[in-house]
Amino acid sequence: MSSAVAALNRLYSWKIRGVRWVEIIGVMLVAAMVFSVYLAKAAAARESARITDLERQITDNGQRVRLLRAEVARLEQPGRLEALSRGAGLGPVDVHRQATEDSLPSLKAVPAPPPAPVAAPVEPAAPAAPVAEPVQ
Amino acid sequence: MSVHDPLAGGRPVSYGVRRYMPSWRWLAEAMWWVENSFGRARADARPEEDTRVRIFVIMSLFSAVFCCLAVGAAHAALFTAKGGVGLETHPNAVVRADMVDRNGALLATNITHYGLYIDPAQVWDRKAAAIQIKRALPRVSMAKLNRVLNGDRRLLVINRLTPQEKVAVHALALGGIGFEPEDVRVYPLGQSARHVVGNVDTGGVGLSAAERAFNDEIRAAGAKGETFQISIDLRIQGILENELAAAATETRAKGAVGIITDVQTGEVLGMASWPGSNSRNLASSATYEMGSVFKTFTIAAAIDTGRADMNTLLDASEALQIGNRRITDFHATNKVLTLEEVYLHSSNIGTSRLSTEMGPRVMRDYFQRFGLLSRAPFEIASEMPIIPREWSDSTLASLSFGYGISITPLQMAAAMQALTNGGRFIPLTLRKGGRPDVQARQVISPETSLTMLDLMRRNVVRGSGGRAEAPGLRVGGKTGSANKSVNGHYSTAHAVGTFAAVFPADGPVNARRYQILVLVDEPQTYPRTGGFVAAPAVGRIADRIAPFLNVQRRADPYRTAVGDKIIPAFEDQEGDGR
Repeated sequence: MSSAVAALNRLYSWKIRGVRWVEIIGVMLVAAMVFSVYLAKAAAARESARITDLERQITDNGQRVRLLRAEVARLEQPGRLEALSRGAGLGPVDVHRQATEDSLPSLKAVPAPPPAPVAAPVEPAAPAAPVAEPVQ
Repeated sequence: MSVHDPLAGGRPVSYGVRRYMPSWRWLAEAMWWVENSFGRARADARPEEDTRVRIFVIMSLFSAVFCCLAVGAAHAALFTAKGGVGLETHPNAVVRADMVDRNGALLATNITHYGLYIDPAQVWDRKAAAIQIKRALPRVSMAKLNRVLNGDRRLLVINRLTPQEKVAVHALALGGIGFEPEDVRVYPLGQSARHVVGNVDTGGVGLSAAERAFNDEIRAAGAKGETFQISIDLRIQGILENELAAAATETRAKGAVGIITDVQTGEVLGMASWPGSNSRNLASSATYEMGSVFKTFTIAAAIDTGRADMNTLLDASEALQIGNRRITDFHATNKVLTLEEVYLHSSNIGTSRLSTEMGPRVMRDYFQRFGLLSRAPFEIASEMPIIPREWSDSTLASLSFGYGISITPLQMAAAMQALTNGGRFIPLTLRKGGRPDVQARQVISPETSLTMLDLMRRNVVRGSGGRAEAPGLRVGGKTGSANKSVNGHYSTAHAVGTFAAVFPADGPVNARRYQILVLVDEPQTYPRTGGFVAAPAVGRIADRIAPFLNVQRRADPYRTAVGDKIIPAFEDQEGDGR
């Protein structure tokens, strides 16, 4: 046990150019930590600025969306649409002209349109010579 | 090296320490132990211990401090709250959430407007600036503009500039012009649905209707950037408003009210009050004697208590005398009527007989449970009903056909719901999905409810509500017509016509079903009865809103799916072939 403690003491007291190696490693670790913290903080600050910028953009876009939605709501208000529809001659569909999907097969077929009369081929007449109108 | 008492120097005398608390004394002694370690080390002939102890103590202290800092920094770095980075609030947070209908259509929103400020010290040519600003912003007061421009400090010229107006003024590129953003509640639908949506004050606090009823929830939703839904369906609301306005204009009425609800949940799908602009909401703030619609409640109570059924006969062959009062029928039949005929012919005599037979206790109990005697439990504050003080036979007779009691249309709508949803009284609500905190109250039995649904349907097919028929939608309902009391007397020139309807009236008690109430106040066209002034509007409304509610057109025992009469199949009962 005492030999192990003595070995540890020797290891602890091992010096490089008068400075304990433990202290050198400690300083190096601290320097590495300081540098990494600096990097992390700098990156975090950059990200934070970006997040703030994005959130500002979201807020701006959100406001624009709100404005547009309000405009859409104003244009689509039922009273206005009905007035426009009535003005365009539209109205509720008569119940006799309504059908559900299920009732489609039972609907009376639309009568086929009468066949269009086929005109006999006619020989194209020779174009008449233009007659010049006498100038008055 | 001499040995001396290390405490004899700067240490306070021991009796002084005794006055302090034990913990303080322990701390002081520990400090002095450290402080005098040098002396002790020398006394113990271990001078090298002195510096080591001090260095050790100082290192320990610094190590402890740095450990605390490290732990704190690590905690702050690893366990920062989600909102710790960037903005404190939600990016889309607003003072009040957008209010939307049950399908997400916008009813109210917050838009950033701007206040226009001018600092006259930075304006070079004040006269030219005034002219340019007035040209870009015609609604600004020239007097106010000149007063600010000729003042000596930065002042508000006008507020609530829309973003477009702000851009117009900003484009002038004038010096000394500034804009301050301000959140303004905007109602893009104008006056449509305003009686339901309500309004807010400049501080963003709800003043009326849903804005007031759900003020806290709307603000909480706004802070989270969410929307707030209410039960209204904007499509149904629009149809209700248009048809109500058409009915009121057609009958040259003083006012009109329309309410559409889902009878199973109590949700209000549409609520309109005519005239709409800047007037009070007649649905909640006006009370009316609604006339014969009350016969529905009287007959329901009679059936529910077992005092009557569809085979019950009531003598309406002559007027009913109660004390000095003589009760007659508007459409006198002068015969003994079945219960169905009493309802369909709207016989005052028949329902008066029923009510007097039931007595005041039963009538009062049923009216109470239908919610006719107390303020309607609704998010929008409503008027108290005017109810009779004494319940004599004469009063009971009046109540049975809708006189002697003035209620709000909201109360009528809620009571009709209870009649048609299996007998459960569910308070009306503007909350989408209904009120989770309210238990339904059983008013009548489901069997009575089914009987009433059938009676109401028959009333539209064969009775006074024929004009409310909408092809294939199985509309049922009851008309109500009452003269208004003017200067203490009922005036035939001032009437109220009502139609309380439900559709579809067929199916089980828990089927999806919707209630439509239309009330026309003081129509000027003749006849002024509910069957003529209100029922046609109900029919048109049902016809137009059915597709939005997914109510399919179907045949029932009385009408085909397209509204044609069903002629009963010939039954040769006598066996003689005739």
